[in-house]
Amino acid sequence: MTAELPPGLALQKVDERIMTLNVGPQHPGSGHMRIVVQIDGDYIVACDPDPGYVHRGEEKMAEYRNYITNIPHLERPVIHDSCNVLYPYVLGAEEILGIEVSERAKYVRVIASELNRCIYTMYWLAIYGIFLGHSTMFMWPAGDRELLIDLMEKMTGARVTHAHFVPGGVRNDLPPNFEDVCLRQVNYFEKRIKEYAAVFYDNPILISRTRDTGVLSRQDAIRLGTTGSVLRASGVDYDLRVKEPYDVYDELDVHTNVMKEGDSYARSRVPWLDMMESCNIIRQALQKMPKSGSVRTKLKPNPKTKGPETVYKRVESGRGSLGCYIVSDGKPEPYRVKMSVGSFRNLIALPYLLKGEKLGNMPSVYWSLNYWPVEADR
Amino acid sequence: MSSDSEKPTADAKPEAKPAAKPAPKPAAKKPEEKPVELPAFEKGISDKLVEKFADKVEVAFVKEDRVRINVSKENVHEVAEFVRDGLNYDHVESVTGVDFPADKEIEVVYHIGSYSDSSLGRQILVLATRAPREDNPIPGQDSTKLPSLRDVFYSVEFGEREVFEMLGVYFEGHPDNRRLLLPEDWADLPPLRKDFAIKGR
Amino acid sequence: MSVIAPKFKLSEFIKSLLDNIFWIMLLLTFVGLPAVQIVLFYIEMPVIHGELLTPFLAFTWLADPTRILPVVHAFMATDLFRIAAFPGFGFAALLAAGTIFVERKMLAKLQLRVGPFYCGKIEGILQLMGDGLKLISKEIIIPAKADKPIFWAAPVMFVGAAAAFVALIPVAPGWVVADIDMGLLAVFAVIGFFPIITILSAWSANSKFPFIGGIRALFQMVSFEIPLILSLLGVVIVTGTLNLSEISASQSFFPWIIFLPVGAIVFFITMLAELERIPFDLPEAESEIVAGWLTEFSGMMYGLVQLGTYLKLYAFAALFVVLFLGGWNGPMVVPPFPEEFLVGVEMGPVKVGPFPGLPLFDQAMLNGTLWFVIKTVGVIFFILLPRGVFPRIRIDMLLNLGWTKLIGLAFVNIFIALALLYAGVLGPGGLQ
Repeated sequence: MTAELPPGLALQKVDERIMTLNVGPQHPGSGHMRIVVQIDGDYIVACDPDPGYVHRGEEKMAEYRNYITNIPHLERPVIHDSCNVLYPYVLGAEEILGIEVSERAKYVRVIASELNRCIYTMYWLAIYGIFLGHSTMFMWPAGDRELLIDLMEKMTGARVTHAHFVPGGVRNDLPPNFEDVCLRQVNYFEKRIKEYAAVFYDNPILISRTRDTGVLSRQDAIRLGTTGSVLRASGVDYDLRVKEPYDVYDELDVHTNVMKEGDSYARSRVPWLDMMESCNIIRQALQKMPKSGSVRTKLKPNPKTKGPETVYKRVESGRGSLGCYIVSDGKPEPYRVKMSVGSFRNLIALPYLLKGEKLGNMPSVYWSLNYWPVEADR
Repeated sequence: MSSDSEKPTADAKPEAKPAAKPAPKPAAKKPEEKPVELPAFEKGISDKLVEKFADKVEVAFVKEDRVRINVSKENVHEVAEFVRDGLNYDHVESVTGVDFPADKEIEVVYHIGSYSDSSLGRQILVLATRAPREDNPIPGQDSTKLPSLRDVFYSVEFGEREVFEMLGVYFEGHPDNRRLLLPEDWADLPPLRKDFAIKGR
Repeated sequence: MSVIAPKFKLSEFIKSLLDNIFWIMLLLTFVGLPAVQIVLFYIEMPVIHGELLTPFLAFTWLADPTRILPVVHAFMATDLFRIAAFPGFGFAALLAAGTIFVERKMLAKLQLRVGPFYCGKIEGILQLMGDGLKLISKEIIIPAKADKPIFWAAPVMFVGAAAAFVALIPVAPGWVVADIDMGLLAVFAVIGFFPIITILSAWSANSKFPFIGGIRALFQMVSFEIPLILSLLGVVIVTGTLNLSEISASQSFFPWIIFLPVGAIVFFITMLAELERIPFDLPEAESEIVAGWLTEFSGMMYGLVQLGTYLKLYAFAALFVVLFLGGWNGPMVVPPFPEEFLVGVEMGPVKVGPFPGLPLFDQAMLNGTLWFVIKTVGVIFFILLPRGVFPRIRIDMLLNLGWTKLIGLAFVNIFIALALLYAGVLGPGGLQ
C-alpha cells in the first residue's frame, strides 16, 4: 500500500530537531497558499511552496468560450489589477482577429492600466505593512486606494472587476470632465504616497529588519527567471514598458526604477517608486491623448479569426511581465490560452530565498516577492 | 539606459524597429511584403540556429520579436544548451503544454527570453517540442515523456511541474516531479487534455 | 420540516421567562440574602445615634436611608473592598477598559479611520461591553490533545498574577491592598510568574504555533527581566527602601525621573517588551505564528487573557508612575469637603442633614488618586503610541537589544544613582 502513494503524499523521514510548520492556507501570514516550512530552532532549513488552493482552471475555461466571452473571467486572477491581467490577452486577440485600435483607445488603455497598477500596488503595500506588524501602513494604503478606485469607477462603472479592455479598444469612452478629475486625484495621490516614506520606508526598525534579508543577487535573479519589481530590485534594468513598448508606451517617457541591493527592503521599495512613475505616466498620457475620437472598433458577437496562428504577447503588470500565449485553430474559441504570470515566475525564488533565513523574516521575504497567490494559481 | 551601451553593434537593429511598429498602416501592406522581407535581426537568430543544427531544427516562423523553432524531443536538450550558451538567452518565461489529440501528440512550448543581453530585451525565442500522447494516460509511467530542461534553464522548474500535472508529460531528469497546483489526491485525467471535458459544456 | 420548531413558540418563550424569574427569586432568597448577611457580619459596624448597628439593624436601611452611608463607609474600610473595588481589581479593570477604548479610538485617528462607532451612541463607547458579551457567549474549544487541567488553569492564573501585581500598587496615601516592606521585590516575584504561565499554557495546548509563541515569550520575558530589575535598582539606592508607598512618598518635591532619566528609559522599553506590545509583540506575531501562545484560546478564555494583559498594562504604567513620576504627589487641586454637609444644610424652610458617614473620602486621598490617574493615563498613552508607528522587530534583534544595550544602560543608571548619593546631592544632607 505505502509504495503506491503518489509522489506528493510520500512520507518523509525527518530529523527530530526539525519541526514542520504548515503555514497556510488558513494562516494570517500566507495568503491563499500553503508554505510547508521546516524549521530548526528559529532557522528555516527547507521550504516547499504549495500553491493551488484557489486554482480555478481559467485556462481550461478559456477553451470553451469565444474571444469576447473570455474577457470577464480572464481578469479574475487579480481583480485589483484586472486591466493589466487582461491586457496581453486583448493584444493577442486583436492580432488573431485582425483588429485595429484607435489612438485614443490606446491612451485610455494606458491610463487605465497605470491606475490599476497603483491600485494593486497599494493593496500589496497594505498587506506588506500588516505582515510586518505595522497596522498604520495597512490602513493608509487601503484608504488612499479608494481615490483611484473612484476614478476607475467613473471610467468603467465597476470598482474592481472592470472588464474594460476589449479586442478593438475599450468598452466605454471616458466620462465628460474625466481628465480634470483624474489629474487632480492623481496629484493628490502622489503627494499622499510620498508621505509613506516618513512612517514606513524611513522607519529605522523597518530598515534594520528588512535590510540584508532574503538577498537575491543579480545572477540569481536572472537565472531563476524572476520578473517585475523582484528583478529590478536586484539590479536588472528590465521593464517591458521600455524594452518592448506596447500600445503607446513608446511615445511616453517611462523611467525604470532599479535598485542594486536585492534584499527585502529594495523589493518593497521598488513598487512604491513605480507608483510615482505611474503617476508621471498618467499625467503625460492625459496631456498627449487625442481629445476626441472613437475608442472602440465594433466587433460581431462571435468574431471570426484569420486562421490558425499562435501569438505570444506580454505586458508589464503590477507583478512583472505578464505573457499570454494564445493558440488559435481558426475556430471562434481559442484552442489554448496560457497565461504566464509574474507571481508564478517569482514563486520559484521563495524556497531559494527562505533557506537559512530566520522564521521572523518569512513574512517579509515572502510578500516582498510581489506574489499574488490567486494569480499564480489561475 | 546604461545597459544598452554594452553591445553597440546590436544597438542599431532594436532601435530601428519601434519606428516601424507603431504606425498601423504598414500592417495592412504586410501580407504582400512578408515573404520577401523578414525582420533582419530575428532572421539572424534563426539563421544561427539553422547553421548550427541544420535540419534538426525547423524554423516555424520569424516574426517581429518572435522566432519559433520546432525541435524533436531527442534534440531539444542540445538545442536549449546552444540557445543558452550561443545565443545569450538566459531564462524561460513560460512553459506551455498544448494537447493535439488528432496528431496523438502533446506539444510543450518554452518561451525563452533574455535579461542579460539588452539587444535581446524584446525578443522571445519560442522553442517547441512534441511528446507522444496516450489515450489512457498514467502520468509518469507511460510513454509521454520529455527530457527536462531544468539543468539548462533553472527557471523551468515550476513550469514543468505544472505541465506534468496538467497534461501528464513526465520530464525525465527533473528533480522534483510532484504535483503543484492540483490536489495531491487528484485521480482523474490530466485536466488540460482535450478529452477532459468540463461538465455542462 | 415546515412547522416551527417547538422551542421557538411564543408559549415556550413566555414559559422560559417565567422559569428565569422563578429561579432568580429562589436564588436571591436562599443565596443572595444570606450572603449579604454574612458579609455584614464581617464588617465592623458603625455607631449611629449612639447605637451600634447590628447586621439585622443595618437591613433597615430600606426604611431609614440615613443608615446607608455609614454602612458603605464601614464597608469601604474592609480588606474585601480594597481587594475587589478601589485600589485593587475593580479600579484597575475600569482603567483597563478605558485603556482599550482609548487605544482603539486613538489608533483609529492615527490611521485615518473612525474606530468603534455605533455601539452605545457616543463614539462606540459600549463596544468593549459588546465584545465581552460576544466572547462570553462563544463556545470554548479545547484542542483534543491538550493537557486540559493546565490549559484551563492558564488564563485564570494569568489574570490572578496580573491582579496580584495590581494589589501591590499604592494609589493614594494609605490606599494600597498589600502595603508590604518588600513591595518592589514582590513586584519582581510576580513578574517572574508571567513567563511560566505563558510557557505552561503554550506547552499544554500541544500545538505548534502556541509552542513557538510560548518559547518566544519565555525568551523575551526572561531576557528583559534582568534590565527591568537593574533599571529599578537606581531608585532603590537613592530612596533606601523597597516599600512602594515610601518610594512614592519620597517624591513629594521632585520625581526621580529628573535624576534617573536613563533608568526611566530602560524601564519603559523593558516594560513594552514585558507587555508584548508592538514593536515587541513577537509572542503574538500574527503573520508568522498566527496568534502565538494565544492561538488555541477561544471564547472567554481568550477574553480572560486579554483582561489579564490590560490589567498588567495598567500595573506596569502605575509602577512607572510610582517609581519615576512621583506617584500620587501633586499640587492640591481638590477643594475641601464643604463643612455644612456635616452639620446639615438649611434650604429655606427645610433643613437637610446632617449626613452621618460623610465624607466618604478625605481630601488627600481624592487629590492623590486624581494625580495618580492623570499620570498613569499619560504613561499608558505613551505605551499605546508605538503601535501606530513601528513595525514588529525580530527575535534576534530583540535579544540583542535586551542582553547588551539595555543591561549596559541599566548599569549606567546604577552608577548615576550611586554618584548622586556619594556626592551628597541626594540622601542624608542632600536635597532630601
